[in-house]
Amino acid sequence: MTVPMTKPLTRARTRNMLLSKTQVERVKLLARRGRSIWSDYRRNLGGMTGLIILMFFLVMAVFAPLLATHAEPNNQVLWGDNPKFAPPSSRFLFGTDSLGRDVYSLTVFGSRASLVVGIVASLISIILGTAVGLIAGYFGKISDEILMRTTDFFLVIPWFPLMIVFATLLGKSFTNVIIVIGITSWPSTARIVRAQVLTVKEKGFVERARAIGSGSGHLIARHILPNVVPLIFANTILLIANSIFSESFLDFFGLGDIRVVSWGTMLEEAYDAGAFSRAWWWIAGPGISIVALIMAFYMIGDALDEILNPRLRRR
Amino acid sequence: MRRILYVLLTIFLILTFNYLLFRVMPGDVARMVIPRHATPQTIAALHAYYGLDKDPISQYVIYLKQTLTGEFGKSISFRTGSTVGDIIGPYLTKTLFLVGTGTVISIFVGVILGRETAWRRGKVLDKVGSAFFITFYCMPTFLFALVMLTIVANYVPGWPISHETSDTYDSLDPIGKVLDRIQHLLVPVFALVIETIATFSIITRSALIDVLTEDYMLTAVAKGLRPRNVLKKHAMPNALLPVVTVVAMNVGWILSGSIMIEVIFGYQGLGWLTYEAVLGLDYPLLQTAFMLEAVAVVIANLIADIALFKLDPRLKL
Repeated sequence: MTVPMTKPLTRARTRNMLLSKTQVERVKLLARRGRSIWSDYRRNLGGMTGLIILMFFLVMAVFAPLLATHAEPNNQVLWGDNPKFAPPSSRFLFGTDSLGRDVYSLTVFGSRASLVVGIVASLISIILGTAVGLIAGYFGKISDEILMRTTDFFLVIPWFPLMIVFATLLGKSFTNVIIVIGITSWPSTARIVRAQVLTVKEKGFVERARAIGSGSGHLIARHILPNVVPLIFANTILLIANSIFSESFLDFFGLGDIRVVSWGTMLEEAYDAGAFSRAWWWIAGPGISIVALIMAFYMIGDALDEILNPRLRRR
Repeated sequence: MRRILYVLLTIFLILTFNYLLFRVMPGDVARMVIPRHATPQTIAALHAYYGLDKDPISQYVIYLKQTLTGEFGKSISFRTGSTVGDIIGPYLTKTLFLVGTGTVISIFVGVILGRETAWRRGKVLDKVGSAFFITFYCMPTFLFALVMLTIVANYVPGWPISHETSDTYDSLDPIGKVLDRIQHLLVPVFALVIETIATFSIITRSALIDVLTEDYMLTAVAKGLRPRNVLKKHAMPNALLPVVTVVAMNVGWILSGSIMIEVIFGYQGLGWLTYEAVLGLDYPLLQTAFMLEAVAVVIANLIADIALFKLDPRLKL
């Protein structure tokens, strides 16, 4: 009984563990990298300001029913006898609109639409753009030529008119707004990803992996994609800002879903009702919110870009 | 030469894309114009009127012919029977004027503001300026236009805020006409350029800051040039290259801004027409407006490329 008990025990524990040692190491490395990025990020004034503003809006979107002073502000039964065009007061914090709806509560609920559209549309666009960029950059030749010509074509077509045409043809609905923004904003991502894939592809570790017999799928998933992700990450945040911008524009153009409360729709209704000459509060609520939220994403994206891609200057 | 060929190819692709888009997507012209309880004869007559009775290939050929001769198919919402070509002319010139003026003003003011803030990097003017740039960069043009509208409507009573001329325009003398037009354009143009000025300032500032850290700047100072001359003769020409590229990319953006401006201020240009086409579901009109907007941007990009070529002798077209 002189054998130390710890050794077999450790061995047993390792054998039964769900994670292998390499996986544990990888998680540790990731955590260390995350911590170092965060410590850089914390010192970035613009980035932190953006993050705080974003937190503010996230809380607003999640707890909208608690924060709003009027439940279901878009429900006709509930707004029925409210005064119309009432200036801000203790009962209506941001006043009321032409139908007597509470602008403050509408603004609070509107944050949901903007965030959902911003995030989902950017995801669609990132997935499309990354796929196109990866295939074009990795496989090259004919596929590169075809995909990049297509990308150039979509880059040169003015973006807003294209969105207007798509949205008109697809019809007005909340989902269609997301789809339209997603499928029109991928070209810039595709370009960035392709450029990065082209440089990563020539690196020594990719060549070594190929020499020991790795297939294309493995190479892309394990070696190329991880090196493209930091680049996409900052780009995604900036894309979200753009998507929110586009959503408010489409709504304002009358191509949004009027059943969904959103800042763009509010501004459209305010414009149609002539609020600019008699009810500034109707424009102020959604207007300030749009600018603040876009600015938040812009500042976060800019800060991340600076930290993750120090050698690259955007634009 | 190769560049021009490439542009022609792009324009041809735009035309084809434009044709396909409006036939492949749900909600085609045919279903839009046909009354719900139409008799087969009516349907056939309407199909023949809009040229929908032929097979897709010959429709495409007709479409190309019409586009190249400037006729553009028949409109649905504007005076039944008129072709889009009759309608679109004056709108196109108005938009080209608005976008052209906007672009020129944005480039001049944006470059100057960017230069001055970069030159005073870290000083008060730079900090205040950068904060302003970012705010306006993040502000959708239509929102700024709404703010302008609110301010003008409340504090400058009597100032015209919609349409491009007054009701009494026809009775004015020539100088009065010009002044009247300028008065109407002032607010829309200001609202249009503010975002692009911010964009161009940000680009110029960062490009110039990059250049100012180069070694040859030190050389220029060391050989005794005045600081302002270093900026004008050595730094600016090099900093302008990325600016021109971005300006080219932003022409489409200015055009998009002009769509919003036109809608808000009732300025009857291509953007306003696009809006009307969307409201009236007038597909031939929307199709033409979109095509003209796309082609305009392609041509603007070509012009920017030529400007870049002139600025940088190392580049080849």
